[in-house]
Parts: sequence; C-alpha cells; structure tokens
Amino acid sequence: MIKIEGLTILFDTFKIVKLDIQIEEGEFHFLLGPTGSGKTLVLESIMGLRKPKGGRIWIGDREVQSLPPERRGISYVPQDLALFPHLKVKENILYGIKARNLDMKAYEEYVYTLVEVMRVEHLLERYPANLSGGEKKRAALLRALAPKPKLLLLDEPLAGLDLSIKVDIQQLLKNLHSSFHTTTLCVTHDFGEAHSLADRMTIFIDGKVGQVGKRNDVFLRPRSKKVAQFLGAKNLYRAKVLKNEESSQRMILGVNGLQFSIPTDLYQGQLEVGKEVDLFIRPEEVMILREGKPVKDSLKKNIFEGKILDITDKERYHMVSLQTTEGEISFEISIPNYTFRNLNLSTGKLVKIALREESLWVIC
Amino acid sequence: MSFRYTMIGAALGIFIFYLGLILSLFYFVGGKGFWGALFHPNTLFSIRISLIAATIATFFAVIIGLPSAYALSRFKFFGKGILDTFLEIPMIISPIALGAAFLVFFNTPLGELIQNKGIFFVFEVPGIILAQFATIAGLATRLMKASLDEISPRYEAVARSLGSSPWQAFYRVTLPLSFRGLLASVILAWAKAFGEFGATVTLAGAMPGKTETMPIAIFTALASANIDKAIVLILILVAFGLLTLYGVRLTGQRYRYD
Repeated sequence: MIKIEGLTILFDTFKIVKLDIQIEEGEFHFLLGPTGSGKTLVLESIMGLRKPKGGRIWIGDREVQSLPPERRGISYVPQDLALFPHLKVKENILYGIKARNLDMKAYEEYVYTLVEVMRVEHLLERYPANLSGGEKKRAALLRALAPKPKLLLLDEPLAGLDLSIKVDIQQLLKNLHSSFHTTTLCVTHDFGEAHSLADRMTIFIDGKVGQVGKRNDVFLRPRSKKVAQFLGAKNLYRAKVLKNEESSQRMILGVNGLQFSIPTDLYQGQLEVGKEVDLFIRPEEVMILREGKPVKDSLKKNIFEGKILDITDKERYHMVSLQTTEGEISFEISIPNYTFRNLNLSTGKLVKIALREESLWVIC
Repeated sequence: MSFRYTMIGAALGIFIFYLGLILSLFYFVGGKGFWGALFHPNTLFSIRISLIAATIATFFAVIIGLPSAYALSRFKFFGKGILDTFLEIPMIISPIALGAAFLVFFNTPLGELIQNKGIFFVFEVPGIILAQFATIAGLATRLMKASLDEISPRYEAVARSLGSSPWQAFYRVTLPLSFRGLLASVILAWAKAFGEFGATVTLAGAMPGKTETMPIAIFTALASANIDKAIVLILILVAFGLLTLYGVRLTGQRYRYD
C-alpha cells in the first residue's frame, strides 16, 4: 500500500495542507483537481523532487520521504513525457534498468512483453523526434514501467491528444493495468478520464481533499457542493426539507414549490425538517417516460411534467434541456442515442420525466 | 525605399564595413619586412603563448563556470540575483581597470602572500592566464547557463525517478543534450581570451618573448611603427577569429537525431 500522510506543501501561492492519500496495492488511483490546484507539486513531492514542509510517505512498509528520488522506486511520466531526445527509443526504455544496475537478463522477457503490448517493436531504433504523439506516449509509458516501479505516477496522461489517439491510449492504460497491476497514481483535471480508468479517486480542491472514494460513489454522491460543481454537476438545486414521513421512511424536499420524495435510510438523522440542503441528480439518471409504458416502482415517486427547451446532439448521446411546468426548474437530461430515436422528442414538446430515487442525492 | 530593402541594406552595410576593414589590411601585405616578421621568433612565440594561455584560461573558466552555470540555471539560493549580476562585472568595467585591480590586489598582504608562497602573477605568464580568466569566467558562465536553461529540468527529473543520482542525470542526460550549446560557449570564451588585451598588458606586461601575447605584440609593433609585423599579427588574429566563428556556426547546426 502507498500511504501519504499529512503532506504539506507551501510554494509560491500554493498552499497544500495535510493532504492524505491512500492507494491500495495494484490500484489505479486518480488525484482529481482543477487546473492550478497544485497537483503536479503533489506528484513532485511524492517523487522526492521537491521537499515538502511536512508529511510522511510510505511505499509498502518503507518510509521514503527522506530518500532521494532515485531510491524511492517510483516511476514518473510527466505531461510533456520528457523522452530523452539524444537516445533511441530502445535506449530510453532500458534507461531505468541500466541506471538501477538491474540484471538485464531478469527483465528481458518482461520488457519484451511490454514492447509487444505497447506495439513499439518497429520504433525501437528511432529517436523520439521521429515519433508521433501517440507513439511518444507509448514509449514514455514503457520507459516508466520497464524497471517495475512500486508506484507509477502519471501527470495528465491524456491531455493534449487527438481524440482517436486519446481513446487508444486510454484503452492501453486500461489493458496495461489489468495485465501488470502496477500501483498507479494519476493526476488529472478531467473527470471524464478519471471516470473511465479509476478504481478509486481523491478529489482535491483548494489544497484539501474534498472526497475520497470509489468512482461511482464520488460521481453519484458528491459529499459537498464544491465537489459536485467541480465534477461538472448539472441538476444541482437548493432544497428545503419539508416533511418527514416516518411511516414510509421518506422525506419530502421542496425546490421552488416542486416536491421530491427521498428515502431517508442513507441520511440517518441528518435531515431534520426545515433544513436547507443541496439536491443533486446526474443527467443520465433522469428518464423521459414513454406514454403508455408501465413505470418502475423506483421511478414512481418523482414524476414531473415539463417542456423541452433545447436538444443538443453530443455525438454519443443527446442532451435535453427541460423546464418543469410546476416550479419552472431546469433539468439537463442525457439520453443514449438509441433511446433518443425511440422517443420522438422535439423542442417545445411536453413530456413526463422520472427521477430514479436511488440516484437522487442530498448533500447535507 | 521599401521597408524590406532598408533593413537588408543596413545589414549589408555592416558586413561591407567589416569586410572593407579586413581587406584594407592586404594593401600592405608582401612589404619588405612582411615575411621576415611572419617567421620572426617573437611572432611565433606570441602565437604560441596566446594559444596556450587562452586554452588554459578557458579550461579554468569551464571548470568553475560549468557548475556555477548549472547552479544558476537550476537552483534557487540566497544571493543568486547578486551573483548573476556580478558575472557582468568584467563586461562592463574596462579591462585596464580589471588588470589594475589585480595589480593592487597583489600589493595587499593576501596578494603578497600568494605571490611569495605560490605562483608569481605580476609580469609573468600566469598573469596572462589570470587576466584572461578574469575576463572570460563571467561570460563563459553566462553563456553556459543560457545553454543549460534550454534543457528542460524535466529530463533530469525523469532520469532521477528512473534511478540516476544527480551526478549521473547530469552526465548522462543534461550534458549530452546541452553539449553543442556548451561547446559554442567554450569556443566563444576561448576567442575572447585569445584576443584579450587590456587586463593582460596591465597585469602581465608586454615583454617580447615572455608575456607578449598577439594583441600585445600588435600594440607594441604599432608603437614602434613596425607596420609589417602589425599586419602579419592582425591577419593571424583575424584568421583565428574567423575559424572560431565558423566553429561556433558548426555547433549551431542542430542535432538531428535520426
């Protein structure tokens, strides 16, 4: 396990105080924070390039914060990759094994497997200047993995790539991780990247941990409004607790006169009547109901009527903007293309929407 | 006249100005004493001492300048700004003043101690080297720093993470990457040392066959109205200068790693 405890960094205008991160063995962990939040500083401190003001770092049971970078066993792929331009791809890849004086024979098979997985056989004798963006990424990843690091640090690995290459590298990262289980800490500001790759993630806002958790916990149940907003939350409303229906274990929340019914089991004792809270639901969790079709139980309690204001084609899905007739609340609804085609939607049309109650989330 | 032609015209003007100056030297080539002056033992000595002294001075400037340049390029430390500014001292104060400062220094108790217990500098060959070193050390450091600044520290960061010590990262990554820039800096520093006059003549004097470097020999030749000798020496200096510039140009051609 990798454990970072109380990491404190004061640098220029950055102030990171007592940051804790825990990464399980073999986990793909994301440190997700806005641009300019000091994520790279955190990576540099973990690596040992920067001396933090305080904090302790364990790699397994070895405490490493007083060790120089070369003795920590951490590989690093910076955003600009920094492939050594004066060395061929092959020499770049073997750099770590040579620098650590490792037995080349023992690594030969492993490195060769990596070369195959990464599809770089034909690039080995080239210099980095003659590689494409995607090829450079693959070579840099390979160089980092070759000496079998205890921890792999990735700084914005998918930033600045063309979409097709991005998808390719994303898939590659997924494959690599499922084949070799290298414990990885990846820093990014793009929650889309994190969503597709992370086992668990640490949300990092204003120099502090906003939330730690499994991917879906964080995306569906942000613990604070700040986290929700950072994750690009649509459908976030200020709500008031109106009623406590103890018999059915439900609470009624009001937003602009519109009433939402929510099971209370997740919020033991936190939702007293009169309290102001934030109510959140992700656009994919809102259904547009088809007339005449039976409605599932979990959808029945929160059905509203509204008018479609706008429809945007987002390539793989459609985003529908809707305003409820009662209360005039705006909803953003994301609909997969195949469903969209069956629904016959158009601007101005009146439709019914249903919210899945498991996905309605109250930020207390 | 169009903008473009005005600008190019100015550039050509400078070129013709310098070229004319050099070509005018040939008006006196082949005079009565020309060949005699070229092969005179004192002339040959001047060439030799200039080459040797400039090379040694450059060697020391690199030994001290390269680590200094690295420190200024990579680290933050107290007094860095002042140190950086001080590198320009030899460029802004007159070389004669620099030489005179050395003369004064060697008359202080510390200076006398150095001369009595160690090496004699005043009016001696080590004085040439010292004067040249003082003139070029700051410049060499500055130029080498500029070359190192061009190499992203990220390369070293990655090398460190892959297991290299700071020394190995410098030797295996930063040094080869900045090599051409460093080499150009060294060549320029050497050329500056080779042509140094003011500080050298003040500290080491102008003794033919002892401390008379080429620029000093030109001065003494002119002072004694020995035009043939002066022309010979100037032409040799110009030849060395052009060779140096050509060398720098060669290093300027970027590596193509393919």
